Amino acid sequence: MKIEGRHTVPAPQETVWQRLNDPSVLERSLPGVERLEPDGPDRYRASIKYKVGAVSGSFSGSVELSEKNPPHSMRLKTSARGVPGFVTGEGKLELVPKGAETEVVYSGELQLGGLLAAIGSRMVESAAKKSIEDFFKSLASS
Amino acid sequence: MIPAAFEYFAPKSLDDALRLVERHGDEAKLLAGGQSLIPLMKLRLSVPRYVVDIGRIRSLRSIREEGGWLVIGALSTHHDVESSEMVRLMAPLLAETASEIGDVQVRNRGTIGGSLSHSDPAADYPAAMLALDAQIVAASSSGTRTIHASEFFLDLMTTQLRPGEILTEVRIPRLPERSGSAYRKLHQPASGFALAGAAVRVSLDEVGKIASAAIGITGVAVRPFRASGAEAMLAGKKPSPKLLADASEKVADGVEPLADIHASAAYRRAAASVYARRALEAALARAEGEKG
Repeated sequence: MKIEGRHTVPAPQETVWQRLNDPSVLERSLPGVERLEPDGPDRYRASIKYKVGAVSGSFSGSVELSEKNPPHSMRLKTSARGVPGFVTGEGKLELVPKGAETEVVYSGELQLGGLLAAIGSRMVESAAKKSIEDFFKSLASS
Repeated sequence: MIPAAFEYFAPKSLDDALRLVERHGDEAKLLAGGQSLIPLMKLRLSVPRYVVDIGRIRSLRSIREEGGWLVIGALSTHHDVESSEMVRLMAPLLAETASEIGDVQVRNRGTIGGSLSHSDPAADYPAAMLALDAQIVAASSSGTRTIHASEFFLDLMTTQLRPGEILTEVRIPRLPERSGSAYRKLHQPASGFALAGAAVRVSLDEVGKIASAAIGITGVAVRPFRASGAEAMLAGKKPSPKLLADASEKVADGVEPLADIHASAAYRRAAASVYARRALEAALARAEGEKG
């Protein structure tokens, strides 16, 4: 499943880069993330709670940042596991300055396993889109 | 396939049920016919701490007329709706839609209030609710409020209902004169869910032009929607095969269709057009014969 899009954050590139690399900002801004703990350099352990209508549950997993090119781009790798299955994903973030604002361009691929893959793909995709939007809204006000 | 542990309540009155959902808020799930919630719980995709079974509240299972409105209690099963003379007379679109839901077991157990509250993107009723300009009534311990169908469905399985509220009834306004309606859907063969479903109501004026058309589409996007662009193309025009085809082409304009293992986005968009055209043709034929 491909996830891609772009969002404009009303802050300079340098600021957006700092926010994206600050675990306390990420913990606050990432929808559903309850805890984000450092687990080595550029690696975090995360626990996530989600609720979409009657469907709810929790995941635990990790996020890894790599190929950092401050303040322009980085790669993200994630994997999480919960009762309804597992998600792994890899993608790229690019920060493009647009005057006083910054356009964040993201693209990546998610793989679903277990029940999630069997019955949940339509839900995961739209839940993921909504989460990404909420994340950028929250990032803008951090 | 065994649900996680939960605490179970079976209130006998709406007031008792409202007290329970107010006390337990977000941690409580309402159980009506159980055709959506129970499978989710068995898969542990839904793990509510408290289950409030409202199935014993008899006052919520009724179908009646009230000041020209058709009023359907939330616990009315799909079979109740499909077989009600009053529904067939006042809102035949709803009876036809109910008859297309799932299978016999689902129709015997599943309820209109449960389906609308759960708001599965592929559920059948939401399309008809939109096309009929229905009103949805929700009760809470602080009173009741009425939500227009066009404002009820917010997002994937997300409605205007708040924790602590219970959907109690659905109200359908009287149809305009010379109206016809129809529901046509592409069934997912295993589940019976709509890969695309179109509920249409058309009303004719005295010279046979389309006075107004309402098209509700389900199964295509994360939430059901009205095809307002297509409706506008039809209004005031003399019906013709070309007009119906042109308007049907537009039903999913501006909408981002769902894509999953059952159907791609392009397939859903195409199916929405085909089934909208079929529903329009059937509704027009009925309006011309005035058989609703």
